[in-house]
Amino acid sequence: MIRVENLCFHYTKQPLIQNMSFTVDQGEIFGFLGPSGAGKSTLQKILTGLLTTYTGSVVVNGIEVKHRSSHFYEMIGVDFEFPSLYEKLSARENLQFFSSLYQTHQEIEPLLESVGLLQDAEKHVSDFSKGMKSRLNFIKALLHDPALLFLDEPTSGLDPTNSKMMKDLILREKAKGKTILLTTHNMYDATELCDRVAFIVDGKLRALDTPHNLIQSRGASALRYTYLEDGREVQAETALNRTGEDGRLHGLIQENRLLSIHSSEPTLNDIFVELTGRVLE
Amino acid sequence: MKPLLHSFSMFVRQIFKDSMLAVICISTVLSAVLIRFGIPRLELFLCSRFDRISILADYYLLFDLLLALLAPYMLCFASSMMMLTEYDEEITGYLAVTPVGKQGYILSRLVFPSVIAFVVSAVFLHWFSLTVWPIGWLVLASALSCAVSTALALLLFSLSHNRVEGMAVGKLSGLVMLGLAVPFFLPASIAYLFAPLPSFWLAKLCITRNLLFLFPSLSCTLIWLWSLSWKFSRKIR
Repeated sequence: MIRVENLCFHYTKQPLIQNMSFTVDQGEIFGFLGPSGAGKSTLQKILTGLLTTYTGSVVVNGIEVKHRSSHFYEMIGVDFEFPSLYEKLSARENLQFFSSLYQTHQEIEPLLESVGLLQDAEKHVSDFSKGMKSRLNFIKALLHDPALLFLDEPTSGLDPTNSKMMKDLILREKAKGKTILLTTHNMYDATELCDRVAFIVDGKLRALDTPHNLIQSRGASALRYTYLEDGREVQAETALNRTGEDGRLHGLIQENRLLSIHSSEPTLNDIFVELTGRVLE
Repeated sequence: MKPLLHSFSMFVRQIFKDSMLAVICISTVLSAVLIRFGIPRLELFLCSRFDRISILADYYLLFDLLLALLAPYMLCFASSMMMLTEYDEEITGYLAVTPVGKQGYILSRLVFPSVIAFVVSAVFLHWFSLTVWPIGWLVLASALSCAVSTALALLLFSLSHNRVEGMAVGKLSGLVMLGLAVPFFLPASIAYLFAPLPSFWLAKLCITRNLLFLFPSLSCTLIWLWSLSWKFSRKIR
């Protein structure tokens, strides 16, 4: 679906994207993770054809992006981090307008219903809450049923309920076979949603793999437990894949002396810090 | 072409949904009517009151030039206010990733309104002018007025971060129109101090009806357009 080879880009003399290569398969959720200013947004601008002065090759759905025509935008849907909606128009009017720009149209009613906004279809967008605007903004990107979706921080600033709803919507689109590129600095979203993630730091690709493989690459998860000894609480740790060898743990279990026990898996953030020496959030 | 037309129709719809911008557009027509029918009556009244042969009649051409520039200026002002609203609402960036694209956005928000402004300016000059305008000069004055107004729209959009700032810059940009009055009231030695203003050359060209002034007029306007479109492109990048 996407093939990027030796991509380089710079606004000034300082390179912003350096020698980046990767591919994204059809039906995959591919995440770009990186701190602010890492080059994620610039990369998304290149992939969506907004910046065409790059060197190297960026092929999206068989089209070299720098040679794209307006037809290119019939195939992609973009959901920016901040809602881009006419505040003085109703939700339905917004969707009708944006839909009119494309050759292919999806029915508006089912889309509104899918995000629980059918009842509010006639309300002005200015009266919407942030969560409602985010949901409306998301279905705006689906109006022309694109094969490829670009999502920029889709859960940013949302409360847990709206965040969950947004993630369900993304997974539903994946189930329909759409390819999704997710730009985020939220490691939990990336772990939950992405088939593969790419770590971007200072315009370079530092790692690219499935979240599971990246986490596994750090080594086994740990098991932490606490117990009482001479009236004092003591903490101990053992590798999860070597718990059978921990005689003390066995003894504590048999004697019912454990105060607490937790498994502790590394997160993508841990991996990111380990690989790059930087933090995501 | 269809996305462009839809984008433009949304632009027009947004202007008429905005009462301030709608009033601006309507006030242009009222101003034209006032100039055409109000000024001659005022001239009659003033001449009889002060017992003079003419008072305002010597400046009828200035009123005509104001008429030629007013309609494009008001339309382009409305256009830049609309663009600033869309910029605030992040729509400018979004339309760039739709079939409208960046070029389509520029066409539907700047070029189409400018073409309409040209037609309106020509029609106003034809119907409401106080002096006689040969067709060639009418077209030339309307085209130059339209180009100056487009430059002002670019100035407004490029230098403002939001609508409130846009209103302030709009008031300042009105000063550019002062160039129209300069050749009528100031001696040549001082008047050329206003040479960087495209409106000065527009007035000079129309007063003298000398095509030699077309070159500085065009050059000055093109320099404004070129330098401001660079700033404009950077802003919508």
